[in-house]
Amino acid sequence: MKLDFEEVSVAGLAKSYGPTLALAGVDLSFSAGTATVVQGANGSGKSTLLWLLAILARPTRGEIRYGQYGVKRADQLRARIGFVAHQLQLYPGLSGHENLVLAAKLQGIPFAEKRATELCEALALGEYWNRPIRTYSRGQAQRVSIARALLHEPRLLLMDEPATGLDVKATASFVELLRQEKQHGAIVIIVTHEAKFARAVADRVLYMDRGRIVEREA
Amino acid sequence: MSTLRAAWLVALKDLQLELRTKEILTSTGLFAILVVTLGSLAFYTDPVSAPNVAPGVLWISILFCGILLIGRSWALERENDAVYGLLLAPIPRASIYVGKTLSALVLLFAIELLLVPLCLIFFQIQSSGRVLPLLALVFLGSVGFVSTASLFSAVGIRTRARDLMLSVLVFPLVAPALLASAVATRELFAGATTTEILGWMRILTAFDLLFVGFGVWVSRYLLAET
Repeated sequence: MKLDFEEVSVAGLAKSYGPTLALAGVDLSFSAGTATVVQGANGSGKSTLLWLLAILARPTRGEIRYGQYGVKRADQLRARIGFVAHQLQLYPGLSGHENLVLAAKLQGIPFAEKRATELCEALALGEYWNRPIRTYSRGQAQRVSIARALLHEPRLLLMDEPATGLDVKATASFVELLRQEKQHGAIVIIVTHEAKFARAVADRVLYMDRGRIVEREA
Repeated sequence: MSTLRAAWLVALKDLQLELRTKEILTSTGLFAILVVTLGSLAFYTDPVSAPNVAPGVLWISILFCGILLIGRSWALERENDAVYGLLLAPIPRASIYVGKTLSALVLLFAIELLLVPLCLIFFQIQSSGRVLPLLALVFLGSVGFVSTASLFSAVGIRTRARDLMLSVLVFPLVAPALLASAVATRELFAGATTTEILGWMRILTAFDLLFVGFGVWVSRYLLAET
């Protein structure tokens, strides 16, 4: 059974890597159908926040709630989380389509091949979708990474610098895609340094500094 | 999704990548052949001493080749942080370990299928009635070794000392299984029948069950979020 939730909230969330405090107690909530952009200087804890929300890291302190569910239901919650990381997290030896088919099968999506092909078309992966990822430009590979995050129609969409390498046309399509995801009730959280892109998608902007939220802007 | 189904998908992905590049099979296969060839040239003295020397050469070759193969297999996961693509999927953590172990075992066994006849030819050992029990021995010996090496490679995803850890921790841990394999192979080469080495095979099966069981149990913690 797929779990569902309308809100994600974090309370007193902190994360340390040895002596380095990456996140120093963050309280936030994110609602369905909204996009939150997180900005801040390098090392301010933005990516750590995403990794914790993606359940790829464990908080040192604090709690994350996905609606009524906690991270103890991680295996089921992952079926509702899509993540575009700064690293591509794709197999360079497989084609874009094969990477998507693998991800779709692991997500337990029926008709995985069909779903992967649909997304290749939606993201205009064009004629290169059958070539190995290692032959792609960064922008092309980034589109596959975005497609992988959207495959399973996640409720929570986490994106770390998702517009990296995208050209003007691809960025515009991506912004449109994010609007559609919001309309379908996705909770979108994006870390980006690109102000123009942030303005185009954000309902709310958060600024982080040294592991804390220092400013909120609607 | 069940652990076995997810493991199967992970293993298929590895085999698909390898069939495309043949990178692991070529590099480790050539290395294994070189070890057996050099061993036969350096240690072969006469048909009487050959059955005593050949098992050592064969198992050293399998051991080095296996370590190389498993290291390369997990290196694929580190490239582009691809392993996090697997960790993001709603699958049991143990399935990643089981899938990687399965694919490494298939690749190693493919190399062993070439290595065993080469060893028999180079050391001029009578092959009649020995090939199948020898392949069974080689397979049983490889399961425990591959499952242990794969487990430590999984740990190595998040540590820089992965190569050191593989050689320092894996070899002592799998030593009992390797010793049993080498002794059983020596007895087989010296003329023992399949029935006579059945005891060794049982010991190896017990080691395999222990190593695989421990690997499956502990991998869910090793691959969990940190």
